Amino acid sequence: MFNFILSWLILIPFFGILLILSTPKTQVETIKFCAFATSLVAFVYSLFLFILFDSSTSKFQFLEYSEWLPSLNLHLFIGVDGISVFFILLSTFLVSLCILTSWDSVVKYEKEYYICFLSMGSLLIFVFSVLDVLVFYVFFESILIPMFFVIGIWGSRTRKIKAAYQFFIYTLVGSVLMLLAIFLIYFEAGTTDFQLLLNVSFSEKKQIVLWLAFFASFAVKVPMVPFHIWLPEAHVEAPTAGSVILAGILLKMGTYGLIRFSLCLFPDGSVFFTPLVYLMSVVAVVYTSITTLRQIDLKKIIAYSSVAHMGFVTIGIFSLNLQGIEGSILIMLSHGFVSSALFLCIGVLYDRHHTRMIKYYTGIAQVMPVYTLFFLFFSIANLGFPGMSSFSGEFLTLVGAFSSNTLTTFIACLGMILSAAYSLWLCNRILFGQLKIHYVSNYLDMTKREVAVLLPLVVCTLWMGVYPEIFLDVMHVSVSNILEII
Amino acid sequence: MFMEFNFNVDWIAALPEIFILFLVNFLIVYAVIYSTSPHLGYPILIRNVTWLGVQVLGLALMLNVSNPIIGVIGFNNLLIFDNFSILVKSVILLSTIITLILAMDYSKFENLNCFEYVILMILAVAGMMLVVSSYDLIAMYLAIELQSFCMYIIASLKRESEFSTEAGLKYFILGAFSSGLLLFGCSLLYGFTGTTNYQQLFQVFSSVDKAVDIEISNAIILGVLFILVGMLFKLSAAPFHFWAPDVYEGAPTSVTAFFAIVPKIAVLSLVVRLFSFVFYGLLLPWQEVLILCSILSMLVGTFGALSQNKIKRLLAYSGIGHIGYMMMGISAGSIEGIYATFFYVIIYVVMTVATFSILLSIRKQGNLSKLKYLSDLSGLFLSNPQLALSFAVIMFSMCGIPPLAGFFSKTFVFIAAVNMEMYFLAIMGVMTSVVASFYYIRIVKLMFFDSKTQIDNLNVLSKENSLFLSFCCIFLATFFLWPTPLALTLHNSIVYLCL
Repeated sequence: MFNFILSWLILIPFFGILLILSTPKTQVETIKFCAFATSLVAFVYSLFLFILFDSSTSKFQFLEYSEWLPSLNLHLFIGVDGISVFFILLSTFLVSLCILTSWDSVVKYEKEYYICFLSMGSLLIFVFSVLDVLVFYVFFESILIPMFFVIGIWGSRTRKIKAAYQFFIYTLVGSVLMLLAIFLIYFEAGTTDFQLLLNVSFSEKKQIVLWLAFFASFAVKVPMVPFHIWLPEAHVEAPTAGSVILAGILLKMGTYGLIRFSLCLFPDGSVFFTPLVYLMSVVAVVYTSITTLRQIDLKKIIAYSSVAHMGFVTIGIFSLNLQGIEGSILIMLSHGFVSSALFLCIGVLYDRHHTRMIKYYTGIAQVMPVYTLFFLFFSIANLGFPGMSSFSGEFLTLVGAFSSNTLTTFIACLGMILSAAYSLWLCNRILFGQLKIHYVSNYLDMTKREVAVLLPLVVCTLWMGVYPEIFLDVMHVSVSNILEII
Repeated sequence: MFMEFNFNVDWIAALPEIFILFLVNFLIVYAVIYSTSPHLGYPILIRNVTWLGVQVLGLALMLNVSNPIIGVIGFNNLLIFDNFSILVKSVILLSTIITLILAMDYSKFENLNCFEYVILMILAVAGMMLVVSSYDLIAMYLAIELQSFCMYIIASLKRESEFSTEAGLKYFILGAFSSGLLLFGCSLLYGFTGTTNYQQLFQVFSSVDKAVDIEISNAIILGVLFILVGMLFKLSAAPFHFWAPDVYEGAPTSVTAFFAIVPKIAVLSLVVRLFSFVFYGLLLPWQEVLILCSILSMLVGTFGALSQNKIKRLLAYSGIGHIGYMMMGISAGSIEGIYATFFYVIIYVVMTVATFSILLSIRKQGNLSKLKYLSDLSGLFLSNPQLALSFAVIMFSMCGIPPLAGFFSKTFVFIAAVNMEMYFLAIMGVMTSVVASFYYIRIVKLMFFDSKTQIDNLNVLSKENSLFLSFCCIFLATFFLWPTPLALTLHNSIVYLCL
């Protein structure tokens, strides 16, 4: 049962797709049930991956190998280490949450919708487990197609077409440079196998070029500040579940790529460009935090705060020490929980009133107490309150960055203050105050399903905040191994 | 090297071609007699003749695949039968069979009741098979003319349509011009080397001492370039592409499908044989021309397509772009390059077959008018989600988004270019493919997101077309799971070519 655990994880959503394809589209309930059941099975199964994972070694585990294009020396090699195992868990977890949260809010083309999400679920596992640079690129890019449809078809307004276009073109242009760099690697080393490439050292000049090309792709995906224009658009126009998966996992593909490929393959390039990354991240943290203050769209606020948090992640990664990298991985995970939860909360409001403008919402606390509890909890988690998941991550990151660059850390700390400012102000504006009855009248508190979606996220957030050791334990050896390579 | 004319071996090796040529005669006689028979009431034979033609080609395909004699140069060194030519012929026969079946629906709707075009297509296929097999400049020229004449006629198949007549005339004039260039190139080569045989030409060029006589080698280079230009005309590569959009648009769609798929395979294989084998000793002069044409084709294909609003014109420009990528592989001048080119050809054929299986079959219900403009596709997702999804798969594959098959074909071409250190070419290719994604995803946008103007009640696809469409789409979408068999088969036949 546990022999080919990764292949099964990839195949289970495929079976779900086949099941959905064979159900007639009028039987919406069956389709939803199939989608949710398969995603839940995949999640439970991925827990075994975590349980069976041996955290005492930095080697890749659950290795699977198959011939792919032998004439070009390309092979399909999948396996996980202490870093990718978390992202696999996170993706199976969030995909099932996404399917559960779209239960009532998606009312057209349900069949195609769930197919899109299940296919993303299986492609994401490929992305986080593949050990070949070219094959990584293949799956890194392929997420574009289902996401393009999710934004374009199930998005909420007419501006969604522009958003879908922007999302597609931005990512494509960035990643095309990475493709060229991969060709160069292939030409230099004769292989794109990640484990073999670890033993190949490129000349410093080449490393700088290659690092930049990879960075172009990852920076768009993360997104770093000058390349972040697509993100607020895509978030605002996407349906709730689309935003959740975008903020929860798709952004992490960029940072995961930075850790896995940029750091390990081009250590000299990484050291050379650390100041650039610091600059971009610091600008991201401060600028987007301030931008957040003047947004009037609920989703845009969370979107910009995502950019700020990803700025912390990149600072942590390029601090190039143990605390920094472990902290940044923790932030990625906690951001996966917290920002997803905030998008879900906004989705709850949007489902009821079909607007996301802040000015229509005030005094919700009086009529939706349960909702207020959740929203307040996640806002506080978002600002990095001690005891919540973001705190442990941000603390570790800043500790790591402090030892390598004090000024950067100092400015980044401003971001924490600003994040408190926008989070609390947002809470103030929509939760408290006078109820605006003439705008929105039909107040209904959260349903059981919505609570069921948010509760696991509360548990994860608290757990990671109170006892992060269990996460750190698993990633510890792998991260130290990366540092040894550098 | 010179072998005697061996009656048994040569005739057996050429059996598929001979079979087709014989059976075509019988088909003509059969069709002419029955279609003019007053006793039977002048029956419309198009469907009947199409199926008979499919059977002829299918049997020829079987003969071709099970050819016992491989690696023979026959008929006084005029034709060669090796692994490579057998592979290419199989692809040609298979894609023609599919095109014929796909077009049946179209001829029914358009009242295109002339069985002659089936026969002309089969004749053109015989010509193409000879082109692929040719091992002598004379044989090559004659075979190219055989296929070209058939194609001039079927381009103007719809006699009463101005567009179609114009297409036929344009195609004829420009095609004749390019044939003239080709023949002039051949005569120059013959005049300065004294031979037309590939093997001898190869020996001449591989041992040619450039310092011996500069005038002679200039003339030879001129001859080679004339031949190359002739080929590029046939391939509709920029800057010799001007006929393509008009011919694509004017010709009936069934014929357009044939033009877009089959001749390109034949001419490309000829280019590969000529320029990677015969003229390989003169790599430098022709490589520069090919690189230039490749870049120009990619640019024209991309930027030309951006402003098109008719489906067939857009496909013509996208075809020009694809030719640019294929030539990138050839211009690399390495085994990987040829391999990448043929990989590209096969994926391109699959994508084009899938596109035309949609275009030939969908119609508005009621007046049964065909879809002509891109805007006719808007809202396809609402009326027929499956069809829209397959179309989207094809479009994404054409613009090279992984994990669809189109990505791999482009990747191999780029890898080949980077391996020969042609970085500029690779960067141009990557950039144009990004720009090209604009118009491909515009089609996706039209189908999926523009829901205001819905196509009301589309006709359902015919069974055959939907069968081919689903096969092609499943192939494109799941190719990444197991690309090994196709890659290995291709690799083996290409290696034989270069040995």
